[in-house]
Amino acid sequence: MRNYLILTGIIVTAISCRKVEFDEVERTYGEADFSTYIAVGNSLTQGFQDGGVYEEGQENSYPAIIAAQMEIVFPGMNTWRQPTIYGNGSGYMHLEYVDGEIEVVSAGDTNGYVEDGSWANWGLSEQGTKFNNLGISGITLMQCVAINNDELVINNGILGGFHISIPPFIDQTIPGNPFARFMDFGDNPHVLLGGGTPIQYVDHIEQSNATFFTCWLGDNDVLGYATSGGIPTEIDGTLLGMGIVEFGNLSDPTEFRMKYDSVLTAFSNLGAKGVCATIPDVTVIPYFNTFTVATIKEDKFYTEVWITEGQGTGGTVRVATDADLILLTAVDSIETGMGGTETNPLTDDYVLDVAEVSDVRTATTQFNAAIKASAAMFNYPVLDMYAFLETLKPGIAFEGIGISPTYISGGAFSLDGIHLNPRGYAIAANEFIKTINAAYGSNIPTVSVGAYRGVVFP
Amino acid sequence: MKKILSVILLAISASGFAGGFQLNVQSVRSLGMGGAYCGFARGTESVFFNPGGMTNLKGQNFTLGCSFIFPLVSLQTDAYDNINQTSPMATPIHFYYGGQITEKLFVGLGINNQFGSSSSFEDDWQGRFIVQNISLKTFSYQPTIAYKIHDLISIGAGFVITTGKFAYEKAVPLTGTSTSEGKAVLSGSGVTYGFNAGFFSTLIDNDNMKLTLGGDYRSGQTINLENGVANFSDIPVSLQTSFPAETKFTGKLNLPSVITAGLAFQYNLNEKNSITLVYDFNYTGWSSYDTLAFDFENEDTPDSKTTKAWVNTPTQRFGIEYALNEMFFFRAGGYYDVTPILDGFVSPELPDATQFVPTFGFGMQIGENIAFDISWLHQDTRRTASLTDAGFTANYHRIADVISFSTTIKLFQSKPSDAPSVN
Repeated sequence: MRNYLILTGIIVTAISCRKVEFDEVERTYGEADFSTYIAVGNSLTQGFQDGGVYEEGQENSYPAIIAAQMEIVFPGMNTWRQPTIYGNGSGYMHLEYVDGEIEVVSAGDTNGYVEDGSWANWGLSEQGTKFNNLGISGITLMQCVAINNDELVINNGILGGFHISIPPFIDQTIPGNPFARFMDFGDNPHVLLGGGTPIQYVDHIEQSNATFFTCWLGDNDVLGYATSGGIPTEIDGTLLGMGIVEFGNLSDPTEFRMKYDSVLTAFSNLGAKGVCATIPDVTVIPYFNTFTVATIKEDKFYTEVWITEGQGTGGTVRVATDADLILLTAVDSIETGMGGTETNPLTDDYVLDVAEVSDVRTATTQFNAAIKASAAMFNYPVLDMYAFLETLKPGIAFEGIGISPTYISGGAFSLDGIHLNPRGYAIAANEFIKTINAAYGSNIPTVSVGAYRGVVFP
Repeated sequence: MKKILSVILLAISASGFAGGFQLNVQSVRSLGMGGAYCGFARGTESVFFNPGGMTNLKGQNFTLGCSFIFPLVSLQTDAYDNINQTSPMATPIHFYYGGQITEKLFVGLGINNQFGSSSSFEDDWQGRFIVQNISLKTFSYQPTIAYKIHDLISIGAGFVITTGKFAYEKAVPLTGTSTSEGKAVLSGSGVTYGFNAGFFSTLIDNDNMKLTLGGDYRSGQTINLENGVANFSDIPVSLQTSFPAETKFTGKLNLPSVITAGLAFQYNLNEKNSITLVYDFNYTGWSSYDTLAFDFENEDTPDSKTTKAWVNTPTQRFGIEYALNEMFFFRAGGYYDVTPILDGFVSPELPDATQFVPTFGFGMQIGENIAFDISWLHQDTRRTASLTDAGFTANYHRIADVISFSTTIKLFQSKPSDAPSVN
């Protein structure tokens, strides 16, 4: 019996000494220098979601997520700054539960989350601060750097605003992109608009002291065209001697390449390392796939859906096919009966017709080829967001959380159907982190996707 | 923009049990020798390992055993350097009775926990949307008879009734205005039937040596969870029709079949000391565990189906026993177990891996009628693997020690002096 007890004692002692835990991972930044991480890009970079930029959304922008993780491997990182947005920011969409149904409530609707009181002057007093997140909602690559003087005038006006001093507009101000107000764009170079010295977006990059960057520019060069249903905005620049200027048209691939090179040259001249990301196929996002010709027929008991093809009032009215994409914004008009008859077709601003879809796809392919070629020239790695979004299409899971590009229930896109929500941005941040680690030999930890919220249900 | 929506939610992904939910701790004597027993089959444990071997029993025999399984599992993911499971100790038991009724007829009863698994994590751990807590506990009851056809060959068979109890908790990835996520708690139980049949043969039996072999087949069993109850909590109001506070569910748990062939060779050093070598080969039909599906009674609740795609696997078991003075028994052995779970299907609650496991045991015969046995085995595996459907990859390190104790009591045996002596 004593042997028995001794044996038990030995075993119990052995068991209590067991160690199964993994040691803390030794972190390294590899060949990268994360002292000053600069993020350039558009709304996705600025943290735009649910139709606006607001405090919680900005806190969960993918560059903010990446920066926090970078600091783990690079504790000496300089303080990472975003131009702080307060409360509701520009206002945003949310869901409400009304009479047993889930409704999307826009900022401007009854009970909408209207813009914060601080929003009217947001950013203006911060133009002297050097920020790390240079994302500007709505910015196109075309606007980052001008290739001629006319473009310089227009870009400056779009981003910083027009201060019109031409009769009859003397001393009038047309505000620029409100999301760009945290940056100083100098003065408009046009003689009639002040004849000052402009500061371009690319100049900000040159002055950024970046040691590392992420560049996710170019989406709006396609998206702006696509989300408006293929309609460019026209500005009459006759008084400035510029004729009719179109915005929101598909950018020219050759110009796109030149400008992408300019952006990367700016970083390269600083000796910065970094990552470029391609443009996803925008026609995959919920904005274009929530209402389809088939779902409208089913919901409204139509045998056909009528749309206006092409642009403007000159468009032809025809029966829609499954290849025509109906925009999410068409929802209210569909409810009123638009699209049900030949005399009341869906207007072209609610439709990305089959020819426009083809244009968007072609442009996306061309731009992505340009991004890859440009990045290769400067020896920067590319995160293929186009390919990544394709993998989300059929639905995949992260940490047991199912994700797909389906509106609302898909879990990663915000209520505007175009931008991601915090969970979606966390997924994007992880893809950037993986690309950085692979290219530069660092081992920045990814974040837990589940720690970031998805869609908030009422 | 206002849009009235019908939200069709993705099904909650279900986890399952990883391999090793078969509890191979059904005999302490066997555990000392790598878990082999089918060809040895000399004691009460034959009821489970090979009913044909029950004919080796004399008198009325009772064995009661208990194992203490101490699991330690840690994970490492890209996001977290270390995550510990909080799984509790498990204590499966076994009880066997085997007795001789007539010269050729033997009866027995087995009660044991053949399958089971219990894994826990902190509620807020990274993989909480896959699993927080999961447990399966089965009790099998097996009345058995054996018949000695010939001095050299016996057969036996038992009818198996298995009850199973299943519980599963996970977080539901739905954020509300005042809740960050919901919770699902599923529990259910069911009964199933099966059989266990074996044969035992003595090839050589003389003063110097003994060679025996056996074969056994335990059928697969399917526990139907007929009246499972699912409770959802912290679900946003707008989605409570899809995930109600309570709904019923049905599901199936497939327990695998096991086919075994074994050999035992005993060499007598002298009258009181001997060495025995044993070997068993198991082939476990894990491929029956192809999907784990839950169908919810509430129509709006998305049904859950998880592909398991396990494969049938072999296990080799071998061991040695040294009997000293017919009183002390020193045992050592090991087994080589191939995991049924291919990469892509490894779930964090029980990260099984192909492994060699050393085992040790010691037994003591006290007088004619009482024996004590103790065994110890030590599992230590590392594996890097994914659960593709859930999008979860981790480095796993699992250590498990199993200490088992049993007592065997023999009653009503005719005394050795009564037995005819061999000249």
